[in-house]
Amino acid sequence: MDKKEYRLSLSVIMNLFVIGIVLTALVGGLGVFISVYRHSVEQSALTSSEQAVVQASNAVRNYTQDMDSVMGTIGEFYGQNPEERDQSLETLLRVRRDVVAITSYNEEGQMMDAWTGIYRLKKKILKNLSFPDFIEKEGVSEGKIEISEPHVETLLENYYPWVVSITKELKTQDGKKHLVVMDIRFSQIASYVDGVGIGQHGYCFIMDEEGNVIYHPQQQLIYSGLKPEQTDILTGMKDGSVIQSDVIYTIRTLDNCGWRIVGISHIDELVTGRVKDAIQILMLLIFFVSVTVFAGSYILSRTISRPIQGLVRAMQDFETNAEEFNYQPVHGSSEILALSDSFGHMVVRLQDLMEKVRSEEITLRKTELKALQAQINPHFLYNTLDAISWLCEEERSRDAVEMVNALARLFRISISKGHELIPIEKEVQHAKSYLMIQNFRYKNQFTYSFTIEEETLPYLCNKITLQPIIENAIYHGINRMVDEGRIDIHIFQEGEDIIFRVTDNGVGMSQEQCQSILKSEPDSQNGIGIKNVNERIKIYFGESYGLTIESEPDEGTSVKIRMPKIKETG
Amino acid sequence: MKRSKKLLLLFTGILLMTAGIWLAIYGRNTIPPGKSYVALITKSTESAFWQSVYAGASAAATEYNLDVTLEGPDSEEDYVTQNRMIAQAVERGARAIIFSAVDYNANSEAISQAARSGVKIVVIDSDVNSSQVNCRIGTDNRAAGRMAGEAVLRSTEEKLYIGIVNHDINSANGQQREEGFREAALKDKRVEVMYTINVASTTEDARAGTTQLLKEHPEINAVVTFNEWTSLGVGWAIRDLELADSTQVVAFDSNVVSVGMLETGEVDALIVQNPYAMGYLGVEQANNLMSGNGQTEKQIHTATTCVTRENMYDLECQRILFAF
Repeated sequence: MDKKEYRLSLSVIMNLFVIGIVLTALVGGLGVFISVYRHSVEQSALTSSEQAVVQASNAVRNYTQDMDSVMGTIGEFYGQNPEERDQSLETLLRVRRDVVAITSYNEEGQMMDAWTGIYRLKKKILKNLSFPDFIEKEGVSEGKIEISEPHVETLLENYYPWVVSITKELKTQDGKKHLVVMDIRFSQIASYVDGVGIGQHGYCFIMDEEGNVIYHPQQQLIYSGLKPEQTDILTGMKDGSVIQSDVIYTIRTLDNCGWRIVGISHIDELVTGRVKDAIQILMLLIFFVSVTVFAGSYILSRTISRPIQGLVRAMQDFETNAEEFNYQPVHGSSEILALSDSFGHMVVRLQDLMEKVRSEEITLRKTELKALQAQINPHFLYNTLDAISWLCEEERSRDAVEMVNALARLFRISISKGHELIPIEKEVQHAKSYLMIQNFRYKNQFTYSFTIEEETLPYLCNKITLQPIIENAIYHGINRMVDEGRIDIHIFQEGEDIIFRVTDNGVGMSQEQCQSILKSEPDSQNGIGIKNVNERIKIYFGESYGLTIESEPDEGTSVKIRMPKIKETG
Repeated sequence: MKRSKKLLLLFTGILLMTAGIWLAIYGRNTIPPGKSYVALITKSTESAFWQSVYAGASAAATEYNLDVTLEGPDSEEDYVTQNRMIAQAVERGARAIIFSAVDYNANSEAISQAARSGVKIVVIDSDVNSSQVNCRIGTDNRAAGRMAGEAVLRSTEEKLYIGIVNHDINSANGQQREEGFREAALKDKRVEVMYTINVASTTEDARAGTTQLLKEHPEINAVVTFNEWTSLGVGWAIRDLELADSTQVVAFDSNVVSVGMLETGEVDALIVQNPYAMGYLGVEQANNLMSGNGQTEKQIHTATTCVTRENMYDLECQRILFAF
């Protein structure tokens, strides 16, 4: 297809249109969906993060309250007499396995007593982490518990669990004030916090007000330096939720111990996962839409586009070759059928009209030509009669008779009872008669010869075919010559055709002259004219027959006439 | 017909494009179905050191969604069992092996063979003589040895007679640590002599060996040893002979017992490695090697800390010494 003709077909345009609309709608929808969805996911992530942190902080608060109540129990026991007290506390330690050790100190900070359950107190205590420094400075407020940072239990032989120390001022039986420290295993709190997840990778951790990590689910990674946790940006934050570069931080401070529960979750992982799902659905949709559109376009092209294309092709064919066009009706919708029918009718009608015009034209031409043939060139007749009268005057009666006979023959054959086609034999006689007259008139300025295959004589040919050619050879070729002229007429078979060839050795013609002779109307001097000979042959036998002229200036001219072999019928 | 061909082309194009985008987004997720299997083969399974390695490895296995098996021979001399475990892991379809070699040379063939069958090899803690190892993770043993040397030189004695209780002579890390130690110790002119013994990597062997060494050479006033089990053996021997105060003992790794000894004075310094990090990084590197993305390195050194009686209850050291 070349550029000029490059036009999209109807079905392609329709398909592109549908796909375009669907794609735009889907992509636009997806965009809106993602933004709305992202917002709602952010909100729900915030909510779930807050819920998780509340859950964790409730668990931790319950835990600290539980410690408080255990401490209360210890307080009750502490007021009993020493034997009962020791027994009760040892029992408590065996029942509550998460309570690792209970120690008591006097106001100077000296250890008074220690209860350690199944573990043994070290003989020599290198460092007592259970008795925190700040108590020495600030003391313990009445009736309130103090919770330490997590530390390793340093009082027991071969047992180093992580604990928090809970300190409370208690009174002994005899009214002395003692600081009682309960070391309680931290692993329970850890399991609470470990259990809180937010999304896929979100988690909670506990830090104190200074930003030190109290407990972190991945604290071993943090301590090993394998993972960082930016607690410094969190210390300044107030309670509540903050979204910072796709990370949600939720912080909640516990009122009774100053610990802060921090929830960290990543919006990205929550959102991108869903967006991926959405895109997958979109892809599926596009896939199905494409399939549907493809099927639709197939149906469309079958019902509309293809019949129209068929019509278009038929019209193009009709345009290029109207006469032999054979219309095949196109199938399709009712509109198409109507179009197709109309076109079919139109084709038939047009072809009828064309046929009619053509035959009328031919009839007209034939009539014209017949009229022409019937005419006798008055100059020729005058000249010939003049010559005859001159012969009579000279008393060359034999020659005069011959001339009159020739003239009579010429006219008889010219008329031929009105037949257009005459046997070649007659046509040859006609030519001979004409040549005889002319030769006499031109006083033997030229010679002529006939070479005729015997088999060709019975075939038919258009009458007055040779004469105009010979006339042309005499007037334009030989008349102007100084030397003696020569005209050869040769009739022979060539396959299914018969060839007439008239050759002269006259002055010849240029290429343009040859062409103009075939086109120009005959002047008054030349009877029927070469052009008419050619046209007549073509009208009767078709375009592949007719006249060709070969000529060489100063060499001569050869006119070749091709006709089919036609036998006389009936 | 030309047009419908074009149409067909257009649709094939759209379908292909859709499929392409689809693949681009979801292809990566669909390629590895199920979990990849990674075998962690250690020198032994009992010690606190290896337990900590396992803890780290498990944490990473969860994070990277891998199937990690933890195994090792009962004794730290049993390279035959280790080699069998390597072969079994390959047979079970392990895509990576994280390995700590009992014997630098005796394990090399088994590892090379596994590597040749396409298994990625990550060595932790103790090296193996093979060019096929993709990544080595562990303590810088020479540096750790030098650290031990410096700890010994903190002794206030005027002349130092040092006993070295090393484990299996074929174990690469023991030898490297000893070299590092000698390097540091020889810089000090107080060092008169160094006696070296090699014992099996058990508490009992080390205890007996140390007792004998100390009896043969009563002038020894500093002892150094290079792994968890020999540390305990040395500690017990010092306790048996009641030499806690007069002998500077530098030991390796930590567990409840050796921490107790540090506190009571039998041991004066512990060179503590970071086994948790070894386990974690081992699995992480194995994962990166298998998936072909993420950072992979030829050599990663994990941190070492020198813990003494004075700093053992600092918060930092608490976190290093005592697993949560």
